[in-house]
Amino acid sequence: MSLLAQLDPLKAEALAALAAAADLPALEQTKGAFLGGDGKFTALMKQLGTLPKEERPAAGKAINAAKSELETALAVRRSELELKAALPKEPTDWTLPGRRRAVGKLHPLTQVTDDIVRAFRKVGFAVADGPEIEDEYHCFDALNTPADHPARDAQDTFYVAQDSGSPLSTKNSQLLRTHTSSVQIRVMKSQPPPIRIIVPGRVYRRDNADATHNPTFHQIEGLYVDKHVTVSDLKGTVEAVFKDVLGSDVKLRFRPHYFSYTEPSLEIDFTNALVKKLGKDWLEIAGCGMVHPQVFENVGYDPEVWTGWAFGFGIERIAMLRYGITDIRLFYENDVRFLRQF
Amino acid sequence: MKVTLNWLKQYVDFNWSPEELAERLTMLGLEVEGVQKLGGEFAGVVVGQVLTKEKVAGSDKLSVNRVADGTGERTIICGAQNHQPGDKVAVILPNFALPLKAGEKEPFVIKERKVFGVVSQGMMCSNKELGLGEEGDGVIILPPDAKVGQPFAEHLGRAGSDVVYDLEVTPNRPDLNSVIGIAREIAALTGNALRVPNCSGAVSAPTAVTDRRYSIEEFVAVRLDEPELCPRYTVRVLTGVKVGPSPDWLRQTLEKVGIRSISNVVDVTNFVMLETGQPLHAFDYHLIGKGADGKPTIVIRRAAAGEKFKALDNQERTLTSDMLLIADEQKGIALAGVMGGANTEIRDDTRDVLIESAYFAPTNIRRTGKALGLRSESSYRFERGCDVGIADYASQRAAQLILETAGGTLVFGAVDAYPKPDELKVISLRHEKTGALLGVEIPGDKQVQMLQSLGLEFHAQIGHDDRGAVVTSFRIPTFRVDLKREVDLIEEIARLHGVDKIPSTTPRGAVGMNAFDAVYDQLADVRRLLTGLGLNEAQGQTLVSLANCRLPQAEVVKLANPLSADMDALRPSLMPGLLDTLRHNLHRKNQDVALFEIGRVFTNVNGQPKEERRVAIALTGQRALAFWSGDDREAKFDAMDLKGLVEDLLEHFGLRGIMFGKRAEPTPLFLESAAIMLGGKVQLGELGQLLPALAKQYDLRDAVFLAELRLDELLARGNRSKSFKPLPQFPASRRDVAMLVPEATTHDAVLQAIKQAKPANLESVELFDVFRGRNVPAGQKSLAYAFTYRAADKTLTDNDVNAAHTKAVDALKQKLSATVRE
Repeated sequence: MSLLAQLDPLKAEALAALAAAADLPALEQTKGAFLGGDGKFTALMKQLGTLPKEERPAAGKAINAAKSELETALAVRRSELELKAALPKEPTDWTLPGRRRAVGKLHPLTQVTDDIVRAFRKVGFAVADGPEIEDEYHCFDALNTPADHPARDAQDTFYVAQDSGSPLSTKNSQLLRTHTSSVQIRVMKSQPPPIRIIVPGRVYRRDNADATHNPTFHQIEGLYVDKHVTVSDLKGTVEAVFKDVLGSDVKLRFRPHYFSYTEPSLEIDFTNALVKKLGKDWLEIAGCGMVHPQVFENVGYDPEVWTGWAFGFGIERIAMLRYGITDIRLFYENDVRFLRQF
Repeated sequence: MKVTLNWLKQYVDFNWSPEELAERLTMLGLEVEGVQKLGGEFAGVVVGQVLTKEKVAGSDKLSVNRVADGTGERTIICGAQNHQPGDKVAVILPNFALPLKAGEKEPFVIKERKVFGVVSQGMMCSNKELGLGEEGDGVIILPPDAKVGQPFAEHLGRAGSDVVYDLEVTPNRPDLNSVIGIAREIAALTGNALRVPNCSGAVSAPTAVTDRRYSIEEFVAVRLDEPELCPRYTVRVLTGVKVGPSPDWLRQTLEKVGIRSISNVVDVTNFVMLETGQPLHAFDYHLIGKGADGKPTIVIRRAAAGEKFKALDNQERTLTSDMLLIADEQKGIALAGVMGGANTEIRDDTRDVLIESAYFAPTNIRRTGKALGLRSESSYRFERGCDVGIADYASQRAAQLILETAGGTLVFGAVDAYPKPDELKVISLRHEKTGALLGVEIPGDKQVQMLQSLGLEFHAQIGHDDRGAVVTSFRIPTFRVDLKREVDLIEEIARLHGVDKIPSTTPRGAVGMNAFDAVYDQLADVRRLLTGLGLNEAQGQTLVSLANCRLPQAEVVKLANPLSADMDALRPSLMPGLLDTLRHNLHRKNQDVALFEIGRVFTNVNGQPKEERRVAIALTGQRALAFWSGDDREAKFDAMDLKGLVEDLLEHFGLRGIMFGKRAEPTPLFLESAAIMLGGKVQLGELGQLLPALAKQYDLRDAVFLAELRLDELLARGNRSKSFKPLPQFPASRRDVAMLVPEATTHDAVLQAIKQAKPANLESVELFDVFRGRNVPAGQKSLAYAFTYRAADKTLTDNDVNAAHTKAVDALKQKLSATVRE
């Protein structure tokens, strides 16, 4: 049989053997059997020298082409088998739950506070702070709420026990601040106008805990003092911030009210789709007003030169509205199933 | 304060719907908290009279009737038989609905309709049809004196339709605790006149005016001992009154606003209080003790310390000398401004009545009420500040209404002890200031007009201030105790102008500055770090129980007036609160909890409360989230989890030189614990494992690990500045060392020994294994460290590294008696 006549069957045999190799060692064995030093294909190549001289170029060309074809087939099969070898023993079930790392969540009150703070910072407010144990001067007197003022009755206050016995009789008793407004006084006494601050923080009222009350809760206070500040400024800024915090579909309503440390004093109601869903026209959300000239006099600002406005509202209330939470106590129980939801 | 629509309309005209009135009052600062619609019963039902009754052609039962309805006549076809011409009947007019009956979804509306060719224009009603009773003999036959055309509800004596408003009166506006006060606001808003009832006729023309025996001086004297506490005290006397039930209008008016009707005389005093805001008290004149001159002297004095007094509620109270008493010459007869005495109250047989109308100083009334735990409609008004100017008018008004409702004769004149009438306050207003504060221009004459409409009296046009602005001054009426300075007038203008009409302007102005602003962000960074490390943020109660503080009493800040023993102290640490939180979670089957909290704690330092911010971490239960594979998947949190979190936190603050000082003994909180020290002196916090006994007390099953750090200290001492270090240019060489050391040898001791040997080019030493057990003798442990050597300027040769490493290993052998496993 001529050499060339043997070539095609041998090639076909080699290709079949390569395709049949089940794994990489088998493939290497197959390679040796055909292309190795003692391999069948190598043996065929060795016969090339026995051919007549004029037949050699054609036969050499044919053998080289066949060899190249075999090598290509080998490479393809090798990468197929390498891939197969790399696969895990058991195939991965991509529907299995993955291995999760614990990621903590910020408390919802923190998240809401941060959002409110961010909204105010956008319009130039800086965050300020003050003590939670206050005295009567900063919490009431300086805010134009003297001892026998009826407004002082509404805020039932926790007093700090004094070592010397009779706790309530001493002048300027220490108490837990009933509102963040006390920080207004501290900031105005410590820095000259203009002032543009917000004060998030804990406040305390002597209410028994129920679905809407906790003796501890959070407020945020804002104060802006400058020349030529008007009610228009107050309305515009508060509207901008509440739209940012509660969504652009929110509508605000300002109506006259009374706080001893602002004049005029206003209450702010808001409404949006959520409020309508609750079956109400308006929900009260905040109190505000123009800083009372008496307060300015108390901190040594000239009310003829400076005017300003202040507002305050409860953070729990905003968080409850935002997330649909109906019991304020959930915020302070820290059930992890609650915390993980936000 | 409750008020009704119909009552308000007696004093001022307005055309608003009930809803619109609520909206207007709210926007004026008188928030309407509730609206209740009353009556409206039997709408379209009137008293009619049957004029003629004929048979309907073609029907056995039906009759055709001509009925007068007060405005005309109408034809009504009727199936009942029991009525005759001349009878008064209840007629429902077309297009009105019968009351809804049980089981009906929609009320039945009466329409004009043709019956047997005749148009029937309404219906004569039976008891059942009006929901008044069971089916009877036919249509209701009313008494002959029923007034034709009168609304049927009115005929029954039932209240006509009205609307009750529940208003939130702010404490600065005592004048709005009166119907006239509220009407005055409406008058100012509408520009319509306020109609204050005129009662001068009743008091100036008494029946026996010319008879001196019927002059007040013959009846009573007043001795005002305490003009500071009672600046004004007026008295009138009526004789021969007949105490009895109040007329319907009076009874209904009071009942609609939630006041129980008692008797005509008492009801009048309540009515006038609600109408004018002035509390009144009526005494039985004859129960007041008489003096030697045969007439009583009313004494306004302080109570004697320990004096007993029984008020209208029949409780005897012991008074102090701070309390003001109304007395005759022998005994107290009223606790001034708070409550009358049982000994002189109006009885069914009272014939002569003494009316008190006074002004008491707010603070004193407030203190008395508080001290005795006794509040009344009267004290509510006095403590907020009544109108000293209205005392006599209210007394006249009461006299007028008692004469109307209980008869009798008014004794001529009044005692009006008012030794020092105050001059009316005058406040000036710079018109320009209004716009400057409100942000909206309101013409000066309009401002003046608004203030006048509220009852302020134009006093003078002062001219111009030093900046050329127009200034006007006003006399402030006595009922506006809240108006004290210019800005108060501006608020009135803002209210009447409408706050909703003040334009909103976009935010502008100064940029805020405060030192805390940066701290707020630093706190946020800490929160972000800890949540990133897998901890949920908690917010605990500030108020905790003293028992849970686990500190000497003197160091805990206690409340003077706690609500309960559960919350009688301010938390001296965040840890008790976190333990409460763990317990809450465990009780709800949340066994795996990893939390942190940032908050303030309070301690007494040298007798002064001091607050500081802390951060605390609590871990219990499983370390990792649930997973379905892995040998250590159920591993629980241990001390090194806590330590690692604390290390991350300290690294965040860039703090160096931190020592963890192991405590030799358990503490009241911890089984094993360490103090976190900075530079050997400053304690930054502590960490450890909770005492098992305490864990049990909190129902915690797994080990609990707690850490608390002083966050203010971390913020103050931390260094968060960062600077770049070039990445290494030359390769490192690693040498591992495994050694046996005594159990007591700490990791820190190993590091110190190596550090002191100063091996050249040592870059780092890292612990990678701690082992006890096979091949390790008891009382020893095997530690394995990786040493990394690297030079900044060249590749180290083996010889370089070996020389340095030998130095380190020798130091370990010598200083720590370590057996190095080569």
